[in-house]
Amino acid sequence: MSFRHLDQFAQVSSPITALAPALRVLGTVVVALGAATLRLGAWPQLATLAGLVLVLAAVARIPLRTLLLRMLGPLVFVLFASVALLFLVPGEVVARVWWIDLTDNGLLRFGSALGRAFTALAAAVILVSTTTFPEIVQALRELRLPHAVTTALGLAYRFLYVIVDELERLQRAARSRNAGAGAAKRRRLLVSVVAAVLRRALVRSERTHRAMLARGFHGEIISLHRSRVDARSIMLLALLGLVVGAVTLSSYLAR
Amino acid sequence: MPLLEVADLTYRYPDGTHALSGVSFAVERGEKVALLGPTGAGKSTLLLHLNGLLLPASGCVTIDGIAVSGGTVREVRQRVGLVFQDPDDQLFLPSLLEDVAFGPLNEGCDPEGAELLARGVLQSLGLGGNEMRAAHHLSGGEKRLAALATVLVSHPLVLVLDEPTSNLDARGKRRLVRLLRERGETLLVATHDLAVARALCERAVIMADGALVHDGQLEHIVTDQEFLDHHGLWAEL
Repeated sequence: MSFRHLDQFAQVSSPITALAPALRVLGTVVVALGAATLRLGAWPQLATLAGLVLVLAAVARIPLRTLLLRMLGPLVFVLFASVALLFLVPGEVVARVWWIDLTDNGLLRFGSALGRAFTALAAAVILVSTTTFPEIVQALRELRLPHAVTTALGLAYRFLYVIVDELERLQRAARSRNAGAGAAKRRRLLVSVVAAVLRRALVRSERTHRAMLARGFHGEIISLHRSRVDARSIMLLALLGLVVGAVTLSSYLAR
Repeated sequence: MPLLEVADLTYRYPDGTHALSGVSFAVERGEKVALLGPTGAGKSTLLLHLNGLLLPASGCVTIDGIAVSGGTVREVRQRVGLVFQDPDDQLFLPSLLEDVAFGPLNEGCDPEGAELLARGVLQSLGLGGNEMRAAHHLSGGEKRLAALATVLVSHPLVLVLDEPTSNLDARGKRRLVRLLRERGETLLVATHDLAVARALCERAVIMADGALVHDGQLEHIVTDQEFLDHHGLWAEL
């Protein structure tokens, strides 16, 4: 799946896409925070939150397979990042793999890390699948992120595609001349291509600046920002917050 | 008084390259002029002087009676709409709507008004429905139109286009030419494409090696193959 079509569900009519983008962002943060602050070992509550997010994905009309595929890359990263917990965290040894002792606390933390990552990632995938990047940038503005940050994000997003296109074109041209046969040659080729792309990016930045000046730019990008937050969206966010909050709290009360 | 006047314009790049040497011509209100010449003739450099992105080493550029200088660039840029050769240079915001509203917002328009203007222009160019799309989701022809929209929204007196039909297929060229013909702005089009120049303009200004070498009716030169060869132009294969 190309990164260019991450937001393919943004045009699908659903209760999720009907929500204001700012509230979708906040909802994602609420779910991620809820998962992150669950008591260690609160498996029923973790399963509840994960189940809630899967329900939200279904409401957003994102097929389960699509959701899981999009989470796969980051989840594999989390897996590798947290596998050391299995044997580094002190505790009672519960299993041995080759010469490595797996402890009960290690398993607990490893499982929690995966479970929390799954829940937070699923929420994040729902957000980026149902919200275009311009909407996310607008949402961040509404949430009072500094203007310089949101402007830089918007420009970077736009030109990421231009730079990736140029990179692909240069690589294609090089491959058509049989460049890069062999790992070492491919590495050298990559360095040359990246250098060429950076040079072109610099030249393009000057041209873009001229284009901005030609349309009256005088140092600040003024946004079209208008809030889409309505009472219904606020109520739904509040409901989500209550549910997540109750689940998280119950993990501490139900010991 | 001509709407656009270039008088003895000379410019040298910081590395010492003579880009323009004593260029002089004028464009009357409502005229449509083609700026022709081979690669490296100085066409793009000339165009950058028309809205003050470059300032002359000597000579003068006047737009609607205003001499282009560091102090007048703001007024000049409200009168000159410059469409760059690569639309990706001109479409730099996350959505088309923001790109097209960029100009009016910089001119002091409120967000609601700017959005209304932007939506209207996009609709008039057949891009209605694409307001929230990012430029990288558009075809080459759509990007060209979007780049044009970013300039038309400010109702410039003079429309200056740098190679507007490069990388467009025949259908895209026809669509763009048809749109430009329907408009009433004064037009200055830098192009290699003589077919496009003939479709849009009556008059041609030809440049070579930074100098203006010919200024006259376009139809008088398109059939003169020797003239075209001499000045690095190509009417037909």
